[in-house]
Formats: sequence, C-alpha cells, structure tokens
Amino acid sequence: MSEAALAFCLEESETLESPSETLLASYPVAESGYDEMCSAPGVLRPHWVAMAQALEELGGDELERRHNEVQRLLQTDGVTYNTYDDPHGPQRHWLVDPIPLLMTGEEWTTLAEGLEQRARLMNALLVDLYDRRLAIRQGWLPAELVYAHPGFLHPCYRSLPDGNRWLIFHGVDLARGPDGVFRVYGDRTQSPSGAGYTLENRITLARALPMLYRDAPLRRLASFLETERTTLANLSRHHPENPHVVLLSPGPNSPVYFEHAYLANYLSLSLVEGEDLVVRDSRVWLKTLGGLRPVDVILRRVLDAFCDPLELDGDSLLGIPGLLQAARGGHVVLANALGSSIVENPGLGPFLPLLCRQLLGEDLKLPSLPTWWCGQLDDRGYVLAHLDELVVRSILPGGPYWEGRKLDAAAQAELIKRIQDQPHLFIAQAPSPLSTTPVLEDGRLTPRPVMLRGFVVAEDDGYRVMPGGLARVSSGMDTLQASLQKGGISKDWWVLAPTPQRHVSLLRQAYGPIIVTRDGGDLPSRVADNLFWLGRYGERLDGTARLLREALGRLLEWEQDNTDERCLDDLFEALEIPVPPVAESPRARFFALRQMLLNLLVDVEHPGSLQTIFNGLSRTGRAVRNHLGDDSWRLLNRLQQWIQELPANLSARQARELLEEELVLVASFCGLNNETMPHHQGWLFFDIGRYLERVLRTLDLFKLAFITARHPGVPLWEVVLTITDNLTAYRRRYRSALHPTAIIDLLLFDEGNPRSVGYQLRRLQRHIGRLQQPNGSPYRSVEERLVLEALSTLQLADIAALATLSHDSTRSSVELIRLLDALHKPLSGLSDALTHSHFSHAEVAQQLIMMRP
Amino acid sequence: MRYTITHRTLYEYTSGVSLCHNEARLLPRETPWQLHRPSQIRIKPRPAVSVERVDFFGNRVLYFAIQDIHQRLEVTVATEVRVLDERPFDESSASPPWEQARRMLQEDPDPEIVEARLFGLNSPFIAIQPVFREYAEASFPPGRPLLEAMADLNTRIYQEFKYDPHFTTVATPLDEVLKERRGVCQDFAHLGIACLRSLGLAGRYISGYLETLPPPGQPRLIGADASHAWLAVYVPGMGWAEFDPTNDCMPREKHVTLAWGRDYGDVAPLQGVVTGGGSHSLKVSVDVAPNPEPLRGKRG
Repeated sequence: MSEAALAFCLEESETLESPSETLLASYPVAESGYDEMCSAPGVLRPHWVAMAQALEELGGDELERRHNEVQRLLQTDGVTYNTYDDPHGPQRHWLVDPIPLLMTGEEWTTLAEGLEQRARLMNALLVDLYDRRLAIRQGWLPAELVYAHPGFLHPCYRSLPDGNRWLIFHGVDLARGPDGVFRVYGDRTQSPSGAGYTLENRITLARALPMLYRDAPLRRLASFLETERTTLANLSRHHPENPHVVLLSPGPNSPVYFEHAYLANYLSLSLVEGEDLVVRDSRVWLKTLGGLRPVDVILRRVLDAFCDPLELDGDSLLGIPGLLQAARGGHVVLANALGSSIVENPGLGPFLPLLCRQLLGEDLKLPSLPTWWCGQLDDRGYVLAHLDELVVRSILPGGPYWEGRKLDAAAQAELIKRIQDQPHLFIAQAPSPLSTTPVLEDGRLTPRPVMLRGFVVAEDDGYRVMPGGLARVSSGMDTLQASLQKGGISKDWWVLAPTPQRHVSLLRQAYGPIIVTRDGGDLPSRVADNLFWLGRYGERLDGTARLLREALGRLLEWEQDNTDERCLDDLFEALEIPVPPVAESPRARFFALRQMLLNLLVDVEHPGSLQTIFNGLSRTGRAVRNHLGDDSWRLLNRLQQWIQELPANLSARQARELLEEELVLVASFCGLNNETMPHHQGWLFFDIGRYLERVLRTLDLFKLAFITARHPGVPLWEVVLTITDNLTAYRRRYRSALHPTAIIDLLLFDEGNPRSVGYQLRRLQRHIGRLQQPNGSPYRSVEERLVLEALSTLQLADIAALATLSHDSTRSSVELIRLLDALHKPLSGLSDALTHSHFSHAEVAQQLIMMRP
Repeated sequence: MRYTITHRTLYEYTSGVSLCHNEARLLPRETPWQLHRPSQIRIKPRPAVSVERVDFFGNRVLYFAIQDIHQRLEVTVATEVRVLDERPFDESSASPPWEQARRMLQEDPDPEIVEARLFGLNSPFIAIQPVFREYAEASFPPGRPLLEAMADLNTRIYQEFKYDPHFTTVATPLDEVLKERRGVCQDFAHLGIACLRSLGLAGRYISGYLETLPPPGQPRLIGADASHAWLAVYVPGMGWAEFDPTNDCMPREKHVTLAWGRDYGDVAPLQGVVTGGGSHSLKVSVDVAPNPEPLRGKRG
C-alpha cells in the first residue's frame, strides 16, 4: 500500500469512536500474514473504510442479531449442504457469516484475467488430450499423470463434435498467500457447484442487512447467471429458438441438491435425474406423462464416470445408457462435456506454465500452489527430503492427504513406502498460510483464513468470470482443509464497482417471445411418482399423528380417573405396536405404555413411526422441490425442525401438545399445496396419493372398530370419530349417544363428508379420470376400473342389511365384513396400477456382462 | 493363411427387453500382417441405430441400439481375413536386456515410447502386485534379453498352469489365478501382462481367434472354436512382440487379431445395457474355417 493510501486510511480510522469500544480496535490482526481488511493492526485497507464504518454504526450486538436473522432465513428457505462423509445423514444447514469479503475492482480485474486464461487453457488441454495428445507425446505433460488418473476416460476420445467446447463451466478454488498473491488450489469441472449458493447468500444477506447492501457499490451477480442461461440455450443445435435444456442431478442425496433445484428454478431448466432420461434414435429424451420429449442441452451435475453405464462406469445407476454415443453424434450437448474431469487432477499444477506457453502461446497469469509431482525423480527427492514442510496428496479424486509435520517416524516411513511404490500417484504441496478476513463471532470481529471459489462460464468465443463468488472460512485456524470438505462457513464476496449498480433479477425479465404453456403432459414421470408419494406420506403423517394423539389422550385420562383404558389395546393395534405385557403395578404399566407411544415419534426402526414417515415425506418433497411453492417448502422445513428438535424424555402431556403443533403443520402443508399448486397433472397425483392413503386408512380403522376390535363398543367408536375429526359433526347431527348405524352412514356413505369413504372414492374417481393416459386408449384404464369397482360396491351395498347393527350389538353383520373386504381389494391394487401406467419404473437397466473383476 | 471367421452370439431373455444399447468389438482391425474383407454383420432384431467408429486403441467398434421389444438378440459377424507370416518378431529376434528396455520405457522421450507407458500402468482387471513380480523374477534374471525372458515366462505359465474353463469367470481376481495355478486364455494373458507391469515393463492384451485343428482322422467341427486371447510385450523403439501363454508360442499365421487394449475390459467382444429382460442366457459359437480360396484384395 502506498504511503498516501496509508495516511488516508489512518485518517479515516481516526474518525471512528474511541478505539476501545470499536469493532475494529478489538480486531486482532496477526503480525505476519495477510489480512484482507487491515494492512496492520488498526489500519484499514482503503476499500474497507466505508464497510468498517457501516459495521461500526450497526455495532456488534445488532450485527449478531442480523446474523441470527440470516441463519433463520436460510433455514426456512431450506438451504442445506449434505456432507460428503455421510450422504444419507442429516442435512447440514448452510452457514453464512454476515461480513462480506471486499475486493477492489482493479484487483478483481487482474484475477479475472487469470481465471479466464485458466479456463481457456484447460479447454485447450482437453482438446489435446482427447485427440492428438501432443502434450503427452511431446513431453509437456508426463503420460502417467494422465493415464493413471481415473478422470482420463478413453471412451471420450474424439467424442466432442467439431465446434463444441469441452469446458462450459469452470470453478476454481483460490486463496491469497502472505505475499498477497492469489494461487490456485484446485479446479472443478464435473460439477462446479457453488454459484447457486453464492446467489442465495447475496439475496439473503441483502434482505437481512439492507443498510449494507442498498446502494452499495458492488458488482451484481445476475448478469453472470444471465450469461449462463444464454450460453446453455445457444449450445442447442436442433432448436436454437426454443431449446429444451435440463439440469441433470444425481438426486436429493447429492450434497448440493439444494443448488441443483435452485439453479434449475433460476435458469428455468427442467430438473431431472438419470432415470428421467432415455436415449432412443441417438437422441436424449425426457420421459414425461405425455410421452417422450426431446432434450437438446444437458447442464450436467453428475460425475463423468456415472453418466453412461454402457461406455463409462457400468455399475452406475445414475447414468443414461447410450448418452456418450448421443453426445458423440452431436444430438445432445453436455455442459461440461464428458471426460473433463481429467483437468481436476491436482498433479497438473507444475506443468501448467509450460502447457500454457505451448497450447496458448501465453505466459500463465495465475499461479498454482507450489506443487511437486513425485513421478519425477528430482521432485520425488525433494519431497522425501522435505516431508516436514509439505502436505502429500494422492492425485486420485477424493484421495487421502498427509501433513508431513504431523506424522511420527513410523507413519512417515509408511508414507515414503507408498510414494516409492507408486510415485506417479502422489504430489506434495507447500501449504502457505491463507489470508485472513474478519468473521463475526460473539459480537466481535475475528480474523479467519479464507478460501475463494471463482466461477467461469463460456461466452461467445471466450469465457466470462463471475464478479465475486463463494468465500469460505474455517471455524478454527488449523482445520481449514478438513472443514472445507464439510462445508465450513460461507461468506459473500464483493467486487467493488466505482458506482452503485442496478439490481437485476432474472425472474423479472422476459427473454423474447414466450409460448404460453400449462403444466400437463410434460411432467416427468418420476416427478409424478414423487408427488403421488408426497401425498401418501403427508396423509400418513397426519393419520398416525392423530392416532398417537388419541392414544396419549386416553392414557392420560386413564392415569387421572382410572377410566376404562381397554380401547388403548385397540389403538396400539392400529398403530402396529405390540401391547406391553402385564406389569406389576398400574404405574409401571403407565410408563411401559407411554414409552411405547413415545418411541413411535422418533424410532427410525419402526416403519410406522413419525420419523420414518417424515423421512419419506422429506425425500419425496426434496425430489419435487421445483413443484412446491416457497411457503409449502418452508412448512416442510418447519416440520423437519419440529421433528429434529423433539426433546428427549417427553411427558405424555407434552407429547400430546407437540403433536397438536405437528398436526397443524401437516394440515397447512397439504392445504397450502391444494391452494397453490396449479390443479393440473402434478397436483392430481399429489391429491390421488392423499385420498388413496386416506381411504385405505379409513377402511382399516373401520375394520378395527367394527370387526377385529378386542374391546368393541362406545369408547372405541368415539375414538374413531375423534380420529376422523367427525365427533362434532356426529353430535350436531344426532345429538345422541353413539349408534353404529349412524356412524356407518357418516363415515361410509355420506358423500358430502370429506372423511367418508364415499366422498374419498368419488374424488379419486374424478381425479383418476383426468389423468392423461399414455397410450391414448379409448377404454377405461386399469386404475379407472379399480376405483369404479370400489365405488359401485359401495353404492350397491345393502344399507338395510348393514343396519342390523343394533344399538346394543357390538358385533357387525356379515354384510359389513363382506363390504369392507370388497372395498379393500380393488383399492389396494390401485397403487400398483398407477405405478405401472404412469411411473413406469418397473423396468430396470442391467449389464449384459459383468465388467468388473 | 486365409480364414472365414464366423462369430455368433445369442442372448435369450426370460422377459421382454424394451431397449438395448450395445457395443461390439467383433470387427477385426487391420495390421501390417492382417488383411480383411468387409464383414457380414447380421443383427436380429434389426437395430434402429448402428454406427461404426474407431476407439482410443484403434479398434473398430460397432455401436447399435434395438428399440423394439424383443426376447432374443442374435449377433453374427462373418469376416474373411488373411494373416501373413509377417509379424515383426519371432523366436529368434534379438532384443535389449530387459532392464535397459525398462529404462528406455521410463526415460526415452520418443513419442511412441512415451505413449506405450499407458500399458505399464494398472488397468481395471490388472493391478500391479508384489506377487506377480515374485513369480516373474525367475524368468527375468539380470541382463537377460527382454524377449528371451518373456519367452521363458510364457513357457512357465504354459507348463505350470492348468487350462480349466470351469474354474474362473470374468470376475475371478488375478491373484487367485496365480495362487490356484489354473484358468483360461484370458487369465493367462492377464497374468503375463501383470508380470510385465510389475517389473516396470509394458504389456497389452489382444483378443482374437486361433485356428484349432481337429484330432487326426476326425472332421473339423463347425462352431466348436472359441474366442482367444494372448498378450504382447513392448520392446522400446522396436515394437510389440506377441506371446500366447495358453499355447506356449509366438503367434504367426494362425492367430487372427480382433482388437487390443490394456486388458479384457477394453476389448470385450459384445457388451450392452438392456432395459427389462429379467434374467438372460448366453450362447456363443465361433468358427474359424480355413479358406482355400485366395483373397483377392479388398473389395471397394
């Protein structure tokens, strides 16, 4: 920093309040190293002055409050990041620090030139490696670094049609060293994720900290996303005017699924998984309810090897057989092209300066972290002699790494042996302390090491760099590497502009003429399947919670008044949990019963527990994220929070109160979907799922109350009315004690009552009749016939015979048993029939020969 | 020698297959010592798409897709080939000491030698292990010419291993083949390559056919032949020398080359992904018929 600038910022900082109370004064800048905000303790870099002032005005406590607001907003928006270590584990919430990382426009311009060059270089390298391989044959790059790396996929040899680019998207991990120079730590080309999180960070922080963001002179991100959209559209060869672009995701178990759904929404792409696509006639098609719809461009977030079980990894279920052949023929364009993961190889670092001169005729602008490749004798010698100062890494994706100084003699010897056995698989890097940047912790600013991910996208003949990107800090000084793999804490990275920039949102802009469409036949079959199950799980969650609430209520009454508790046995039956054996005392029995019921809240081993059902709801919900409204999505996240935060050691009373809360959330979720989802094909499947589940549950409850109950009679009938929330309706209508014939009418035949089987069957019939039939046959489909069978059975039932159930008879007539069975049979076949006609998952792909040793 | 090779593959499925994508490496590649006429390819049912290309290793690949529901797939490829006794190496060829060959492979900047390093690395079916080096060392004493050492290894595999088609499958690990001393041509070729690579040398896998002669006095049985596999070792600066450990020989006129790669995984004759189909059964028959007619060059 020049003397003048230093004086300037000293002067600026003097205008702040008395140092002992300011955020800045207590910011502990290390003596060595590079801090992004301060050039020396208490001395701001000029471009931070305005920010520091704004932060100072807010104060630590207010910032902390805003920070909590940010986390709350992110949580209700369901921004998550699953860890790689545990892809099926609970999702982590995305953590954001409220203090942006500032960079001057000049500094960014230099950095952006380096990133743009790097994207061009990697593209040129891919062009060479998958065709002439001059880099290898001329010795610019050792053969082993390419051929021993699993990212080099020889089926991709000459697979890119002329005129296409290998790299459309490029993500680069960077950090600044103590000398202030940026160095590259890694490249991401298969699934360069983070741009969506970057955007979400920016939007959320701007909402929570309007005083910092409004009119801030920072470069906006939206135009970069707009370039991504245009670039993708322009890749299409078949339909340049109205291309069908899809985002191919591994699905809800992907660590970054949130981003896939987010980007698909933001860029108006169809969010699909491998099983949604099929290759026929050398083209890629999306399987929809209305048939196959051609796909022109695939924004791919599935790893290279998993994209095509025919030519690449044969074990992959995520892939689409024949995809590489379709790409080879130019009938579909993938961004990025298959095979691009070879340039993620960290061993390339030492060879990039030469490759850049040979392939581009330019000097490399952006250096890599100093790297030694052990496949070279000299480098290996250096590495083995300096293990204490180096971090050794395998070049294989996700491979292990060792910090030399942390190894004891035995571990060092073992590492040396590994290196000597297969030297070409190892590199060593000299870790350099990362620059630090302020992070808010307990209302104070603390310096933390920071790493950046920059994003590059192809544009016209060159590449365009996102003005900003994702900044991530570790929660401690030492554990950066480890915590970055687990997500870490992210920050908004600002690139400053000379003047405030206009806010642009993709959502508010129209691009050329639009074709008015309505949801219909183009709904992917998998989405329809998930919506159907979303409805079923939603209803199942509601029904189980109602049963549980009722059981807990009876248990409490019994504890207080020693009233008849025998219908608890039947409730346990309905909940599919065993009645505990006879206990020595009523107290012990109470605890045993209570424990069984409470277990059913969170026991993942039990298929009927709330937790298990919720997991199903959550899984299917995430898989159709783009078909739910934002408020529905927030309710789903509230439910998740509810279940995660259930306290241990609940009392029966607390549990019952919590269940009330849950019932409201489930009802809101289902109701809101009804109110917000357009009532087209997708919603029909959701609704059919709900009502099919409900009718099956109602029939089960009926059977229990009137046929199989151990303790039939008024108390159990009352339970049935309460569970179906029909007790008030009954009382209003009959103003009398419970009579089975009246209950049967209310819950079976009254088609005006949404809780009656009659109503539910009518609704199912209506909605199933509106489903689009894939084959266009003039005859009734199987599912139409099944629901018709059930409805006719009900309508033709001999009500007089059923009514022989007299006031004092606690046993049902033979007719009722027959009727319930006749209703149950077609309905239990309905789910399979729907699956077969509409979801077509019955067929799985298999390899003709096992190609794995 | 002239042959007409007929390779027939039949898959039968227990339920209908609605879609299949396949890759066949059944079309012989051309080499300086092998000529061929255009192949007769019969695929039933008729594929909707069928495209030929050349893969990374220079092999001819036929991609085809069948889009109509079918319960059997039959692929028959018939090709007339002529194999000349002009392979670059035979039993009397001189070669450098094997350590020198290894050093050249690692250090020589000649582009052809640099490219051959690919065949010194691990591949899907072949992982370098100390046991293979230990087995190979008896044939590779210091200073022995590379081809002499390889010929010795070839003979040892032939003598010490039992040909047993019931012992191994494609999925049998190579170290088990070494331990049990039995396998088929594919295992022996993999083993030879694993030995070479474990010593720092380069070896490649070759798939093809071998003319088998009927026992004296008996007629030749049509379709009784099989696919064959052998290997080649790279002699830096000179080229690839072929060895057949199953028959203890260096291939000459009777070995018809189909394709080559790092191991079986690169050259499987027919692979595919089918949708549906239930379980399937596979029948393969190969006929290598000596052809008395002279091959009149290639047809246009």
